[in-house]
Amino acid sequence: MEMFQVVLGIFWLIAGGVSFYFSIGNARVWTSIAVGFFLILVGEIIPGAMPFLPGLNNPYVLAMGHIIGTLSILTMSHGFQEYYVFTRTLDSEGSKLHVYLAVVGVMGASLVFLLINPTPDESVLRVIRIVENTNWVFLSLINIDLIRKIYLNVKDTPISNGFVAFMVVFACIFLWKGSQLYIDVFSLDTKQHLINYTISHYSNLTGNLLASLSVGGTFLYLGKLLR
Amino acid sequence: MILLPRGNPVKENINPGKVNLADALGKIRQGKFTGYMRFDFPEGTGVFIYQEGRLISALFENEREHLIAYDGISRTFDESLSGNGKLNIYRLSTELAHSIHTLLHGEVLHKGQDLQLIDIKSLLIRMREEKRSGCLRIYSKEHIALIFYRDGNPLGFFHDGSTDIETTADSSLSVAKEPGAKVDVLVTRVDGEKKLADLMETADISGMWGAAVAERQRQREEQENAASKTLETKELDRRQKTQELFKSFAMAHLGKIGSLLVDKEFDKLKLNGGPISDSALDDFYAKLGKSAKLVAGSSKIDKMLDDMKKGFKGLS
Repeated sequence: MEMFQVVLGIFWLIAGGVSFYFSIGNARVWTSIAVGFFLILVGEIIPGAMPFLPGLNNPYVLAMGHIIGTLSILTMSHGFQEYYVFTRTLDSEGSKLHVYLAVVGVMGASLVFLLINPTPDESVLRVIRIVENTNWVFLSLINIDLIRKIYLNVKDTPISNGFVAFMVVFACIFLWKGSQLYIDVFSLDTKQHLINYTISHYSNLTGNLLASLSVGGTFLYLGKLLR
Repeated sequence: MILLPRGNPVKENINPGKVNLADALGKIRQGKFTGYMRFDFPEGTGVFIYQEGRLISALFENEREHLIAYDGISRTFDESLSGNGKLNIYRLSTELAHSIHTLLHGEVLHKGQDLQLIDIKSLLIRMREEKRSGCLRIYSKEHIALIFYRDGNPLGFFHDGSTDIETTADSSLSVAKEPGAKVDVLVTRVDGEKKLADLMETADISGMWGAAVAERQRQREEQENAASKTLETKELDRRQKTQELFKSFAMAHLGKIGSLLVDKEFDKLKLNGGPISDSALDDFYAKLGKSAKLVAGSSKIDKMLDDMKKGFKGLS
């Protein structure tokens, strides 16, 4: 299992690197989307690296991992909304720097919020994780629908197939985050003998792996389309 | 064409469009000038005859019109302001100026008779017998001579360069001998002794000139507006063609959204009233390229912009 976590970590490193690189070299609206996907890396690497870096087993670090995960889906959803608005109005505004600064600012504010409150215990961390996964699950569904609409608006452009790939990405993320939410909501991690847990656990791992592969693959594909 | 011999030239080949004729007529009046002003235009000829500063006759004539007095002055002013005229001023004696007036307002008995075909002697005899008053105008391509008669008796001769009626017939006869010489016979019933009215006393020359200037200005503005509208229409047509061409390229490279982006950037194109040009389009290309980055890569966008630039050159 540890080896699997390492593989996942490597895949997410690749996916995050590709998406961050993509955010630098392309139009402003892509920045929110690419930065959002890069933040998955940050949110995922922190808990994923724990077995190898025991020093990271700190409640604040874990809480920040979940908060960044939440920020990740919110940022990319905002990016897709902006892209949808662009396809309808042909207007786009703002700057890349503002996106980076806003993300860093929200992360900083979240950290301050954690620090001025009691140290998060297990139950608090669980609640934060449920909030994160809830956001992921419902915004993944909303994003699939939003990306479908974007696809219809840009279907005869060179980039159109990239949005089909994003729909696949969010389907994988839905599987990944949805199974984790199911486990948390029903506390299936305390009832591991149930088939529900087994199915959810493996769905979670599969979804995670597919999400990392599809994110990396999608951004590489987008890079090719936007050459 | 009014055929008059040249008197003693005072001014020649002036462009009347560059002269304030109201002022000029006023100065001529003050200077007690005797003679005539001849205006030659593509549209006809105007003649103003002065006798001791009094404007005794004004005429404008072409193949279709024969305008006298105020109508003649007004039309001459109008034509002068067109800028295509020529003004010559000749000094004459008082008597000759009067004679030319009666000549211009006389009746044409014979016109353009070839001197080789007409029996000039019997014509002169008939003038005497019928006690005609008037003038024989003998002219060739180069020269004109006038022989004035009153009650059948010859008064004298007038030819190019004369300021008064002369008694020798040499010049007149030499014109008659020139190849292709012709004769007009003009008779008049005007009382030669009667003092003629001064048109400048009864006419508001400044007002007529002002009206002519205002009318010319209106015509000019009308022409400029029409020209400007034609230019605007042409430019609008060119702009529409360019936009359609660019939309077709954007459609081919970026799909429907590309065509919409062209419309949007074209609407924002600031030409400040100038024509659409390569330099005016630079900003358009930059903005379109930036927007297009959301749906296509640099190579595709560069190819599209290249096609647009080449297409625009083809339109120009």
